[in-house]
Amino acid sequence: MTPHDEPYDAIVVGSGITGGWAAKELCEKGLKTLVLERGRHVEHGRDYVTEWLQPWQLPHRGRGEQELYDRDYPIQSKNYAFGEATRHFFVNDREHPYITAEDQPFRWIRGYQLGGRSLIWGRLCWRWSDLDFEANLRDGHGVDWPIRYKDLAPWYAHVERFVGVSGERLGLAHLPDGDFLPPWEMNCAEHVVRRGIERAFPGRHMTITRVANLTEPHNGRGRCQARNQCARGCSYGGYFSSLSATLPAAQKTGNLTIVTDAIVHSVIYDERKDRAVGVHVIDRNTKQTLDYAGRLIFLCASSLGTAQILLNSKTPRFPTGLANSSGELGHNLMDHISKAGASGTVPGLEDKYVYGRRPTGTYIPRFRNLGGNREAKVAFLRGYGIQGGAARAGWSRGAEIRGLGAELKQQLREPGPWQLTLQGYGECLPRHENYVDLDSERKDEWGIPLLRVHCAWSDNERAILEDVKTQSAEMLDAAGCKDVETYDHDGPPGFSVHEMGTARMGRDPKTSVLNAHNQTHDVPNLFVTDGACMASSSCVNPSLTYMALTARAVDHAVSELKRRNL
Amino acid sequence: MTRNPRGAQETIDRREALRRAALLLGGALAAPTVAGVLAGCQAARVPDGAWAPRALSRAQVELVAAMAEHILPETDTPGARAAGVHRFIDAMLAESFPPSERERFLAGLAEVDARAGRTSGHRFLQCAPADQRALLEVLDREAFASPPVPLSTTWRGGTSDEPAVPFFRTMKELTLVGYYTSEIGATRELHHAPVPGRYDGCVPLAQVGRTWAV
Repeated sequence: MTPHDEPYDAIVVGSGITGGWAAKELCEKGLKTLVLERGRHVEHGRDYVTEWLQPWQLPHRGRGEQELYDRDYPIQSKNYAFGEATRHFFVNDREHPYITAEDQPFRWIRGYQLGGRSLIWGRLCWRWSDLDFEANLRDGHGVDWPIRYKDLAPWYAHVERFVGVSGERLGLAHLPDGDFLPPWEMNCAEHVVRRGIERAFPGRHMTITRVANLTEPHNGRGRCQARNQCARGCSYGGYFSSLSATLPAAQKTGNLTIVTDAIVHSVIYDERKDRAVGVHVIDRNTKQTLDYAGRLIFLCASSLGTAQILLNSKTPRFPTGLANSSGELGHNLMDHISKAGASGTVPGLEDKYVYGRRPTGTYIPRFRNLGGNREAKVAFLRGYGIQGGAARAGWSRGAEIRGLGAELKQQLREPGPWQLTLQGYGECLPRHENYVDLDSERKDEWGIPLLRVHCAWSDNERAILEDVKTQSAEMLDAAGCKDVETYDHDGPPGFSVHEMGTARMGRDPKTSVLNAHNQTHDVPNLFVTDGACMASSSCVNPSLTYMALTARAVDHAVSELKRRNL
Repeated sequence: MTRNPRGAQETIDRREALRRAALLLGGALAAPTVAGVLAGCQAARVPDGAWAPRALSRAQVELVAAMAEHILPETDTPGARAAGVHRFIDAMLAESFPPSERERFLAGLAEVDARAGRTSGHRFLQCAPADQRALLEVLDREAFASPPVPLSTTWRGGTSDEPAVPFFRTMKELTLVGYYTSEIGATRELHHAPVPGRYDGCVPLAQVGRTWAV
């Protein structure tokens, strides 16, 4: 099985948020780059087929077909962004199975198309700090990160400048400021709650999220139009995606080749050269196989997708999967624990409202275990941040109250009370026993062994969630909210769509898969820059860190290539 | 400034709608399905005589339309009937509801007629409007006497864990969704801006005037 073509300078597997970045950086550095996407082609703008549909033009007014969802989308339909107007950007679960134990569900949310999940992501962008990069070293869970904040800071700035991140500077050491566009506005009720929380809890903050929705035109992309329907796709380029930003930039260099419907079966490893020399691909439609040759291989196929490819790339030297001499490949799977918090009613402000549909919400940065000597002691490691937001109740409240006729109609013509919800996102510890592997018998339609996911929350994550609920309720109480209630939807791992960790970075080749430059310890020209690379999970949304790590890894790879070290 | 690349396009022609509907639903579609999908675009243009229900009988359509109009009647803006809520409910029953839940809804309709018969000796549609309204108020009171059910689960029948949702709650939610997501409901009864263009976090309610449709 030898690659039959003139090799590309680089092959990037996946076109999502990290694949797009790898492609852009590689192409801009002059490398002839092939991007392989397992899903269909999606053209920016033209293929956002629901973008201009109004509620009455959606087949079931956005409510969808329950029977179809139960049959084909039992997992995807649980995602907040899934719906009648966005379904075509999510996989059909029936056609793309994976295996979990009955009592150990894992929600694997996927978008198999050009642009991947960058079309449907939540768009929150936070820098990590050394509180995060030193966490494993400090408490002994997982392995120490081989990098620190200073290594990544210039790369955060590099990606932020291109992405266009709006946000408020807070001056917090544990949530470093970046190069921000003007922030979105908080609404009246959020201002009230912010003042209440900050008065009652010195040291806690409430801010607007830092988010990849443009508050002003940026790098040739139009500003966000406040429709809050990002996951349908946005012809304005108002939010960052591979299709709106990185792939067009890569295309502009003339160095980019994109092949869609190309499912990577495995990476081809040449024992004699001790290098990855290409990838083995199956055409999604014809099922024909084809090999592509490349000098550099970047795996950006998502945490679980990348693990699946490497586990399936077995060679005599790597009988348990390529670059797996450590035995850690597939292990240390993490997500963020979420779907719990509190909500309440903000009294008054009946004569106030909002104009437009803001595409994001508020954020309370981590305030637990920051290392301050006056801090309350808590019974868990690490911490959490709290997303939230306030809005006036809309017409749908009518379905939950008594009444009919002209009185009901008149009542719903005006908005209801201001309601504010808080939802925590807690850090998940890296644990060897949370892992993925390949099933020895069952295969998918393309003959690739099915992934088995073994993942459960530990007591630490559950303790975090309990504190989220208590603290959320206390903050809302202190801010003067009424009818404060906690909630807990008990989301299984995967629910937050922040899965990561299956090919972790580390200092020691015996305990980690990747080095400080996302390069596999075992195979020098093989890089992994998607969420698989993460050695810990922090509590903030991870995409910006994936992007910065990708750009940094490309910079290293290309300089090594030029020095003929690869 | 970047302009809307399609122009200020708020309506789409039939061919474009067909193309999008086909893409939206994954490509290969039977013609009747596409026609059904387009019901949303077409409803306003097809007279009731040319429209055929798929889940409900003609009599049931009339019953649903009459109940929906009681829930959200014509006032200074059109009501549920003019917004085609009965067609929306028929489409949801035909395409979205699993058979068991469809049956439950139809049984609920039959029960309305039976209740009307017990109290006034007539089927619902033969009752005087005031009697119709009085019966629906009883159903409404009963439906909301049971413990609250989170929105969007009210369409689901009972499971081993949770009891079935009272019929009238399902009917009411379907009526509200059908009405406020219709063009009439969204643009004439409520405030709708497909492309707001900006976000202001704190404006006088009077500036927007009405509840946002979306």
